[in-house]
Formats: sequence, structure tokens, C-alpha cells
Amino acid sequence: MMPRVIKHAVPLRALLPAALLGAFVALAGCDETPPERSGAGFAGLGESTAGFVQAGPDTTLSFPEDHGAHPDYRIEWWYLTANLKDEQGEPLGLQWTLFRQALLSSETTPPEERPEPTPWAADQLWMAHMAVSRGAQHGVAERFARSHSAAPSQQTDGQAGAVASPFRAWLDDWVLESEVTEPGADTFERLTLTAFEGDGEGKARLGYQLTLTAEGPLVLHGRDGFSQKAADGQGSHYYSQPFWRIEGEVTLAGETHTVSGRGWLDREWSSQLLSPDQAGWDWFSLHLDDGRRLMAFRLRGGGDDGGDYRSGSWIAPDGTTRPLASQELTMAPLATSPVAGREVPTRWRLEVPGENLDMIVEAPHAERWMDTTVPYWEGEVVARDHDGGERLGVGYLEMTGY
Amino acid sequence: MATQLVTLLTTLLSHYRRHPGQLAMLLLGLWVASALWSGVQAINASAKESYARAEALFTTGLDRLERLDGKPLTRDDFLTLRRQGVPVSPLLEGELTASDGTRLTLIGIDPLTLPGDSAFATAGSTQELTGFLAPPWQTRLAPDTLPALGLDAEAARGASPRLAAGRLPPLTLAPALPPQTLVMDIAAAAALLDAGERISRLVTAPGALAEAPPGLALTRATTLVSPGQLTQSFHLNLTALALLALIVGLFIVQAALGLALEQRLAMLRTLRAIGVSGRALVAGLALELVLLGSIGALAGIAGGVWLARALLPDVAATLGSLYGAGVGVELRLPWHYWVGGLAVTLGGLLLAGAGVLWRAARLSVLDLGRAQAWRSGYQRQLGRMSLAGAAVAALGLALWAWLSRQPAGEGLAAGFVLMAALLLVGALWLPPLLAAALAGLGRLARRRPLAQWALADLELQLPRLSLALMALLIALSASLGVNSMVGGFRLTFLDWLDQRLVADLYLDPPAERFAAVHTWLGERPEVAELMVTRHGESTLLAVDAAGASRPLARPVSLFGLTPGERLTPTWPLLETDAGREEAWRALGEGGAFINEQLAVAEGIAPGDRLTLATPGGGEALAVAAIYPDYGNPRGEVLMAATELGRRFSAPPDSIGIVLAPGADGEALGAALGSEFALGRDALRDQGEVKRIATGIFERTFTITRALNALTLAVAALALLASLLAQARERRRRLAPMWALGVPRGRLLGVQLAQLGGAALAVGLVAVPLGIAITWGLVAVINVAAFGWRLPLHLFPGEIALTLGTAVAVALAAAALPALRLWRTPPRALLAEETG
Repeated sequence: MMPRVIKHAVPLRALLPAALLGAFVALAGCDETPPERSGAGFAGLGESTAGFVQAGPDTTLSFPEDHGAHPDYRIEWWYLTANLKDEQGEPLGLQWTLFRQALLSSETTPPEERPEPTPWAADQLWMAHMAVSRGAQHGVAERFARSHSAAPSQQTDGQAGAVASPFRAWLDDWVLESEVTEPGADTFERLTLTAFEGDGEGKARLGYQLTLTAEGPLVLHGRDGFSQKAADGQGSHYYSQPFWRIEGEVTLAGETHTVSGRGWLDREWSSQLLSPDQAGWDWFSLHLDDGRRLMAFRLRGGGDDGGDYRSGSWIAPDGTTRPLASQELTMAPLATSPVAGREVPTRWRLEVPGENLDMIVEAPHAERWMDTTVPYWEGEVVARDHDGGERLGVGYLEMTGY
Repeated sequence: MATQLVTLLTTLLSHYRRHPGQLAMLLLGLWVASALWSGVQAINASAKESYARAEALFTTGLDRLERLDGKPLTRDDFLTLRRQGVPVSPLLEGELTASDGTRLTLIGIDPLTLPGDSAFATAGSTQELTGFLAPPWQTRLAPDTLPALGLDAEAARGASPRLAAGRLPPLTLAPALPPQTLVMDIAAAAALLDAGERISRLVTAPGALAEAPPGLALTRATTLVSPGQLTQSFHLNLTALALLALIVGLFIVQAALGLALEQRLAMLRTLRAIGVSGRALVAGLALELVLLGSIGALAGIAGGVWLARALLPDVAATLGSLYGAGVGVELRLPWHYWVGGLAVTLGGLLLAGAGVLWRAARLSVLDLGRAQAWRSGYQRQLGRMSLAGAAVAALGLALWAWLSRQPAGEGLAAGFVLMAALLLVGALWLPPLLAAALAGLGRLARRRPLAQWALADLELQLPRLSLALMALLIALSASLGVNSMVGGFRLTFLDWLDQRLVADLYLDPPAERFAAVHTWLGERPEVAELMVTRHGESTLLAVDAAGASRPLARPVSLFGLTPGERLTPTWPLLETDAGREEAWRALGEGGAFINEQLAVAEGIAPGDRLTLATPGGGEALAVAAIYPDYGNPRGEVLMAATELGRRFSAPPDSIGIVLAPGADGEALGAALGSEFALGRDALRDQGEVKRIATGIFERTFTITRALNALTLAVAALALLASLLAQARERRRRLAPMWALGVPRGRLLGVQLAQLGGAALAVGLVAVPLGIAITWGLVAVINVAAFGWRLPLHLFPGEIALTLGTAVAVALAAAALPALRLWRTPPRALLAEETG
């Protein structure tokens, strides 16, 4: 999936957002590309940029290790979206994200100059977002935490973290963790997700308690899990589990609903994800009713000749994946909606000519603005055939930089 | 029309070209009056700004959590609660000492969990959070904290000053922070304070938690009293003093203006005669007033700012030690301060000049205005003054009657009005009194022509001098009143300290080692008795008196002490239900004492029952006694330390150590230090505690005394102004005396005797008036402002000093005109008479 990064921010609510924004913007590539190290001692680390490991096509992903955190990369996330239905058959969408960001005082401070792991000292900043939406309702919450990657106790006992096996990613009492405890078994087979915000039975109560069961294999995007994000070679490590069956309970505005449906978990990490001239992106994850999945994104800027950079994955029901290059994919906004003082495209035409796919993808509800520290639009979409209009599937759309 | 007015104004002002002294006096009066007033207002405005900053800080306005057993919270407590979904944020607070000795409050925060907009948002700049959270971190501080670090704003940015505790992270200025406060990431603060995993407390958004998590005590932000509330009375007192100075200063102005009009009467008549309308004349004079007023007010504000700058460190120290309220030692003045200062001075000037304008408006073109005619007019004026004085006295009596029926502690403003009425009655009745005395003395001195002349002459001077003498009376009686109050307070306070501080040593052990230290001390042979104290906070929910229950919601502090052999005989009590011994017995059995402040504020008497909020609900306690608690701005409930610990889960605070006879306190301190590695500040001996307390006390009244002295100086100036103003005319009257054969030296002596006598009379009136003021201060103002009543102490020394000051001031003021007269050749006296 895409980095949750925005280049030009809306007015800042407080210092905290300002600062975080700064951090994330820096990651997004607003800053100049740090110069390659040329000292003799570092000659072998050709992929090292300012001390961070740079994502590249030659790294082979390995599991379960890569489910956990990668503190040598600047930024990373665990990103779940789900298209569910409640007991009345009413559609309901949710999102849960844990972001990790290496917290170093300047872009030139390499990981080897991290602070001593004294009490409270931190080299990692964590941010978690939760959203639940149903009809016109849209509830959002976010939280922050710090940790130190060199403090052993914090890897399992800190305020936030992510460990590979048995898998557990958490911030406070917001926890996504594996139910599989036998050694050797696939830790990603069955997960539980618990996150609540607001106390007691109040109107503001928001959250969910879900069970996630994997009904297909992990999917590696791009070239064996290296997903290029710009024509100049910038990119990230990127894999997904798009085959979750989800069951559980969701609370929105103090009301609890029993839900079931499909979910999509993205894992992505990188040190420099985007080129400096990329302003934002539009990202789709679609569950088609025939069992196939489509991931497609468009980075606005950074393509050949300064155009858009498009990429995607065509996923068969058995998990077989075909990367889609820029020219194999068309994505065109058709209509915008006014949301949070902006014009956001909520109706799109998506074409994958190689798969005979020509769809209209539309958000039934435009009010899905994530009014978080780093604000963006994220919501459920319905895909229909461009010509016939029959429903083809559901999914999620994320748009940043508007 | 405009040019006409300009011509008129120029003509009017030309008078001052010929009498620059008068202009100087007028401006001086305005300057001094408005300087004192605006100085105090500057202090108040600065302090208010500091309070506002303190209240905007995250440490206030948030609910707090502390451990019930008094042990410090740690990072693990924070993590455990967070992982249970309790939205707490850690706060680490400590003190650092700057190289110049200033104590700086260091606050370490975790901006990632700190609740919402309360805090960081308002205190911060748009600097990146990364810089705050990651090495080398940042120190955020207000610009007025920089002097303590020996830096100016230029050098501050990014500087990393070294303190005893270590190097501070690079400085970033955040003007919204309170003074003497450093804010940084909790990681940097923990390193500087060597706090390890320990934190001071957990905070949470107000009302976020319905109840305290197990093992923790929840203190709601609403039960914490803000510094602004606490210090209100203090600032009101300052304002009253400043108002006094302003009024006295305006007396000078009034005198100078009256004189300038008097001397310009001929000119004004001429102007009227050549066709200037009465209205234009008044307009011209008013314009002159505004012009002079603006100059005086601007100079006054500049002087006030200077004065405030000089006094502010003392005020800040006082407020810090009395109320724990941090006040910046650098002035921070809002725009309305400047406008307000100008308005008050100009308003005062117009008030003082109203009489002049009124007289100018009624000016008769043909009136020849001689001294005798003036005199009969003055007789009427004296009658009016007596009547006005009687009216004010009646008003004062009515106010006093009303006040005496109010519950104690009410009516601070009314108390000040009563004081003002007292002073006004004294001032209004002074001239009739003096005139009557002069007339009586004149009859007595019928056989001594020179004395008789002197008395008659003084009577003739009285109209001119009366205003200055009234100012002197006000200044003298206020000074006597305030000094007697301070002196009485000092005696009471020192006595009270002696009674209360009975232990030889006072130890402040760290909470986590309290038990170990206590046990260790208990086994030492040098120790005769250990007196543990505890501290807590609670809310007074209800008072039951005479079968009726009164619901309240008043935050109170809880204080627990160990009623031992050494303490109970001397600990001061004001009122008990059934005698001292019975009261102490009741305390040991779970009763409570309350301080005078609380008793006065809520009308609680011994025998009443209190209901106090506890973590588990409410606790009922019977009030056995009321004790004096000078210097404490808050209501306090006292109980046995063991009871306070058991029923309110209050943590232990300090240990008072009574040494065995002949034991060496220093050796014990050294042994204690080597056993527990306690900080140098942890152990204090009784003498040191007393020194600190007395130091705070003295500092508290520094500003009172300074303002008093300045007011007195203003009054002296008023007198000098009046004397200088009439000096020329006086010479004309003295010439015939000289011509009749009275030597110059004798004439001078007579003059000095006239004034000295008048001043002595003023001083004699000032003594009873001053005593009345003292009574008002200790019985009305102090009770209403601070909640404690003081015994009325009278100091013969102060009274003698008042009389001496009166005469000295008068003689000093008379010296200059007398010297001038001495230097004038007799020929000139005659020449003036003929000319």
C-alpha cells in the first residue's frame, strides 16, 4: 500500500501535528535526497542513504521476520482496511493503521548515532489511526507513542511496537496480534484486532474487536516485494494479505454492531519512498466478487516526463500475482466532491486493458476525511462495470495530497 | 478660532515662562503621582500576565494521578496504564539551580500522550516535534527566564548553557511559558534530574477518568487553586497603596494649579476685558491642563515602569514564597496598561483642575481679590469642609455598622472604602481644626505681639497650605497605620514561629526511602522524638453546625502532624471547644483542627463537623480547635498524621526531629547523610527554617514600606510646592515686620516655628487617625484579604517617629524658602513692597 504522506498540509491544529507532519513529509521525499556516503568504511553499504537502509529490488523478503518492525528503515506501516456488513446487511467500513517512523533529530543522523537507550529516550515514533464508517457516519481516532529500538524490554513491553513471531503490533491497548501460538505455524493465519476509543458506553465510543482469518497466501507486490514508486527507482518493500475473512463487533457512536466481511492488510517499509516532486497519490484496493483482487495506485508526479507514476498488482483468487506497469493501467478521476474544504475525486474510471477490466469506482459516501494529524481521505468504494453498470466488487480508496 | 485659541494658550502658558519653578512643580507632582500609580499597576499587570501563563501551562488544568502510598510513580506504571487503555501522560517535575542561584522549575513532558490542546499546543512554536523528542532535544523557556541563565535573547537561540546538573538542551524561546520554567522532553529532563524511571505524576485530560485506577489517587484539576485566585488580595492591597500615592500626588497638582491660577488672575481679567469669552478662557485652561497632563502622565508612566522594574524582583520573590506563584522579574505590559495609565493620570488631573476651571468660569472681571476678601471666602469654605467631613464620617460609620454585621472575611472592598473614608474625614476636618486652634491660640497670645502676628499670619497662609497639610496628614496616618500593622504582624509572626517550630531538625526524606529513614532515626540514641508530617489535598464537602448541614465544594489542604510531648504545649491555638488539653486529646482520637483562614472564610467554629472528600467517598471529622496559620493563603485542615495517612491515604512528607538533651545535631545530620545519601537541602535545622520564614516575611513588606516612604516623600513635595508658591507673597508681608525692627533671624525663626507648629499639629491629628487605620488593617482588611486577625499592637516609637517626620518634613520644606529669604537683602524686601 501507499505511504500515508502528504506534501502540503492543511492548517495545523497544534505543534504536535506540525511536527509529525514535518517528519512524515520529510519521509515522503520533500527533502533533498541525502548524498550517498562515499567514505571507505561505508563503500560496501551502497544502499545506505544517510545511514538508513534503502529499499531496493535485491532484498528478499522473509517471513515471519518481515512481519515485525524494521528500525533500520525510516518508515513503516501495518495497514488494515475492511469492507464489512452488519446484521442488517448494512455496509460498514473500517481502518486500523500503525505507523512507525524513525525519530532522529536531523535527516543526517544515521541510526548508529541513535540516542543511548536511557529512560524515555526514543528513536522511534509511533502513530496509530482508527476509523469506522457506516452510512454518513465516520468516526476517527489517533494515538501516538515512542520507543527505543535498542531497549530490549521495549520490543515486547513498550507503549508501542511490532514483533514478528508470534506476530503482535500495538500502541497502548490497540492491538493486532496473532492467535497462532504453535511454533513453526504461520503466525499470520489468524489475527485478532482490538481497538477502542472513548470510555464506557458514551456516544463517542468508537472501536472494534475482530477476528481475522487468512483465506489465501501473502501477496508480494512489484518485483518480489519491491514496489517501485517513481521512474528514478525510489520505492519500498511492500506485501499484502488481501484475503482476510473478518468477523467480530464494531462500535460506532456508542452502538455496537455484529459484523462480517473481507479485509486487506498492507505491510510497507522504506527509507525514501517518493521523489521530491510527487505531491500525493490515489490508491485502490478492490475485492472483486469473482474472488480476484486488484491493487492500483497513481503517484501524482515522478513518472517519466514528469507525468503520473502508476503501478498495481492483479491478484488471482489463488494469490498468483501479476505486477501491472504504468502503461498497463489507466486511472482517471471523473467527478469530485467537496470534502473538508477541498475538492476530492470520489468517482473514478479504472482500466486494466490486459484483463478486460473497465470499471467505474465510486465512493457511496464522500465524507470519509481523516481529520488526523496527517490528514487524508480514506473510505469504502464500490466498483461497477463501466458499460453495463453491474456491481463488480467493493474496496477501499485512499487519497492524499488534496 | 483655532489661531485665537493658540494665541490664548500661548498667553496662558507665558506665565510658566516667568515662573518655571511652578511649571516644574506641577509636572513633578503629576510625574510622581502617576509614576507611583502606574508602577504598581505595572507590577499587577506583569503578575497577572505571569499567572495567565502559568494557568495555560499543562501542569494546571489537567487531572493528576499519584500513588496512594506516596511512592513515586515509574515508567512501568505509565506503560501498564496505557496498555490498559487509560489515557495518562507522564510528567516529570524537578528543580534546577541556575548559576546565579535562581531556582528553575524543570518540567519533562511526553508530548505524544499529553492531553490535547491544553498544553503543548499553546506553549509551543511551530518547531518540529522531532527536534523536541530526539537528541540533542530542546529546552523551551520564556524570554524572561533567560537572565537567570545569564543570557540575552540574542545569545539564547540554540545556546546550551551548563548548570550544576548538566548541560541544558539547546534553548528555544516560547513566550507563552511561565517564568523560571524550563520545558523539555521527558527523556532529557530525566537525564538532567537523574530521575531514572521515576516520574512525578501522571496527568490526564480533565474528567477523562470517572475514578482513580486502583492504588492511585486522582486529583481533579478543579480542586487545584490557581495562583491568580490566591494572590488577588495581595494585588488589591498593592492597588490601594498606589491609589493612596496617586491621591497624595494629585494634592500637589491641585496646589500648583491653584497657585498658577491665583497668580494669573490679573492676566485672566485682562483677557476677559479685551474680549476673550469666558467659554474660550475655560477651553484654553482645559487645553493647558490636557497638555501638561499628557506630558506629566507620559513621564509618570516612564517613571512607573522604572519603579516597577526596581520593585518587581521583591514582589516576585514574595509571591513565589507566599503563594508558590511564579512571577517574571521582567515587566510584561499589555497595551491596555499604557492606555489605562494615561487615562487615570489625565482623569486625576482634570479632577484636580476642575476647581480651577470652575473658578475661571465664574471669574468676575471687576473683582479686585485681596487677601482679606479671600479670607472671608475661606471661612465659608471651612464651614463647607466641616460639613463634608461630617457627611463622610456619617457614611463611614454607616459602612462600619454594615461591615460589623457581615460575616468575618467579607467586604474587602468595603474595608478599603472605610479606610478611605477615615482618611478623608481626617483630611477634611484638618483645616477647620487648624483654623479653630489658631484662633484660640491667637486669643491666648494677646500679650505677645510677635506670636500673635505669627498666628494671624499663619491663619492667612492656611488657605494656601491647607491642601498640602491635608496631603501630609494622609501620608502620615497611612504610614503610621501600615507600619504599626507590619510591626504588629512581625511580633505576632515571630512569636507564632517560635511556638510552631518545636523540633530541632527538619528532614525532608525522599518518599521512597521515608520508611527506611524513619526506622533508622527511631533507633538512634540522639533522637528523643520523631514528629512525622503528612500532606494531602481534599475538598470540603459540607459543614454541620447546630444540626444544620451546609453543602460546600471548597478545596482545602490537609496537614497531618504528630501530637507529641514537645509539640502540644506550645503549638498555638486560637479557639478550642473545651480547652487545649481536650482539643489535643480529640485530635489524637480522630478529630481535626482548622486554620483561621478556613474558619473565617466558611464561618466554622469548634464543635462543628466537617465532611471531606476522600478517594473512597467522604470522611466526617469534628473540629476541636482553630489555629493561626499566618502566611498560608489556603484553608487547611489539621489532623494526626496517622489518621491522615489512614483515612485520606496522604503520603508522608517530612520528619521533625527532637534531639535528646546534649545530642549533637550536626553529627546526626552527617550520619544520616552518609547512610542515605540525602541531598543537602533535605535536612534543615530550626534556626534555618526560622531564618527562611523571617526572610520571606521581611521581603513581603519591602514593597509596602517602599510605597509608604514614597508616599510620604510626595507629601513633603506637596508642602514644598505650596511654600515655594507663596514665597514671593510672603516676602512682601515680612517686609513691614522687618521695617518695624524684627531682625531677619527672628523672622526666619518665626517662619520655621509657624510651619513646624502647623506640622506638629498635623502629626498630632495623624496619630489617632493612624491608629484607626491600623485597627482597620488588622481587624478588617487583613481578615478579609488573608483570613487572619492580628492583635492591635501600638508602638510608641512609631508614633514619635510620625510626629518627628511631620516636623522634619515641614522644616525641610520650609528650609528652601527660608534660605531664599535669608539671602534676600532687606532693601529688596522694601523695594518689592513699594514696587
